[in-house]
Amino acid sequence: MAFHLRVIHLLEYWAARLLLLGVDLLPPAAASRWAGWLGSLWWTADRPRRRVAISNILRAGVAGDPAAARAIGRAAARHMGTVLVESLKSALVLDDPDRVRVRIPDDVQAVLEDPDQGLIVVSGHFGNWELAGQWLSRYKPVAGISRPMNNPRVQELALSRRPRHGFRMIPKYDPDPGRFIKLLGDGEILALLVDQHARQGLDVPFFGHPAKTHTTAAMLHLVTRAPLCFATCRRAAPMTFELTLSPLIERQRSGERNADVEAILLALNGLLEEAIRRDPDQYLWGHRRWRRRTE
Amino acid sequence: MDGNGTSQILVRLRDVLRDSAVEERDWDAVAPETTIESLGFDSLTILDVLYDVEEEFGIALEPKQVVKTRTVGEIIGLLQQHGA
Repeated sequence: MAFHLRVIHLLEYWAARLLLLGVDLLPPAAASRWAGWLGSLWWTADRPRRRVAISNILRAGVAGDPAAARAIGRAAARHMGTVLVESLKSALVLDDPDRVRVRIPDDVQAVLEDPDQGLIVVSGHFGNWELAGQWLSRYKPVAGISRPMNNPRVQELALSRRPRHGFRMIPKYDPDPGRFIKLLGDGEILALLVDQHARQGLDVPFFGHPAKTHTTAAMLHLVTRAPLCFATCRRAAPMTFELTLSPLIERQRSGERNADVEAILLALNGLLEEAIRRDPDQYLWGHRRWRRRTE
Repeated sequence: MDGNGTSQILVRLRDVLRDSAVEERDWDAVAPETTIESLGFDSLTILDVLYDVEEEFGIALEPKQVVKTRTVGEIIGLLQQHGA
C-alpha cells in the first residue's frame, strides 16, 4: 500500500475513534445532534459528493429547483450522521418497544415464525436500514451483505462496535458461490441493499431513469423459491422508528430469466421510490446511481 | 448410471454453461470429473446457471443439494435423479 494511502487510512481511523468517543461520552440525544452536525459539516466540505447528491435529487424529481434540492441534500447528510449514532446505540431503540412501531403483513409474519423458512429482505440506503436488520434478528439470524470499506482499519473498528445479537455482516465477495443458498436453506434471513450501481446488473428504471441494478435478490428468489419482501425503517422522531415490511413479492418463473428478474426489480425499486418520495431527507443521495455505461 | 444418458446430459449441460456463464472458456472440455470450483462461478453466476439448467431440463432442483455437489458428474447424477 502506498505511503500516502497508509497515512490517510491512519487519519481516518483516528477521526473515527474520535467520533466514537463523542458518541460514547454524550447522552443519545446530544450524540445524535452532534453526529447530525458532523453530517452537515461533511455536506459543506465534500463538494464533489454534494454535486452528485443535488444532481440525483433533481433527476429523481423530488425537488423542483436546485435550492430545494440543496435543502434536501443537507438534511439527508444530517440524517446519515444520526444513522451512525443510532446504529451504535441501537440497544436503546431495540430494547424499548415504544421506540419501534412495526408493520408486518400476515404472510411475512408466518415466514418469520417458521424456523425452517429462509427469507430474503431487501431495502435501500433509506432511513436506518441497519436497525431493521437488527430488529428482525429477534426472529431468525440475519446476514447482511456488505461491501468491505476501503479503509481496513475503519472496517475493523466498525465491526468491533456493531451490536451482535443475531445480526452479522457478511462480505459481498467470497470464494464459496453457494453460501447465500445455504444460508436461506438453513432458515436464515438474508438482507440486501439494492440501490447501489451494479456494473454487471440489469438496467431497471429508478425514478424513471435506467439504473444498473443488482440482480442477486431476484435471482435468489427465483432459484431457491425463498420468500422475498421489501423493508423500510423510517425515522419518525429522534431514536424512534417505523419498521414496515411489504407483503411477500412473488414471481412465477416464465422461462425468460431477464424478464423475471426485471419484473421483481421493478417492484422493489417502486417500493423504494415510494419510501423516498415520502421522506427524501432520509435517503443517501451522494451515491452515483445513474452512472454512464463507461464509468 | 447409463453412460449414453450421461453423455447426452453432459452435452446439454455444456450448452447451458456456455450460454449462462459470463466467463469465456473451453466448455467442450468440461467432463464429469471437472470440479465445480474450477468453473469459476461466483455467488451470482451460479444462480444464473441454476435457473438455466432447470429451464433446460424442465425440472426443479433442491438448491441445498446442488451446492453440496463437487463435480459436474455429481450434478449430472442429481439431474438423472430428477428424471432428466
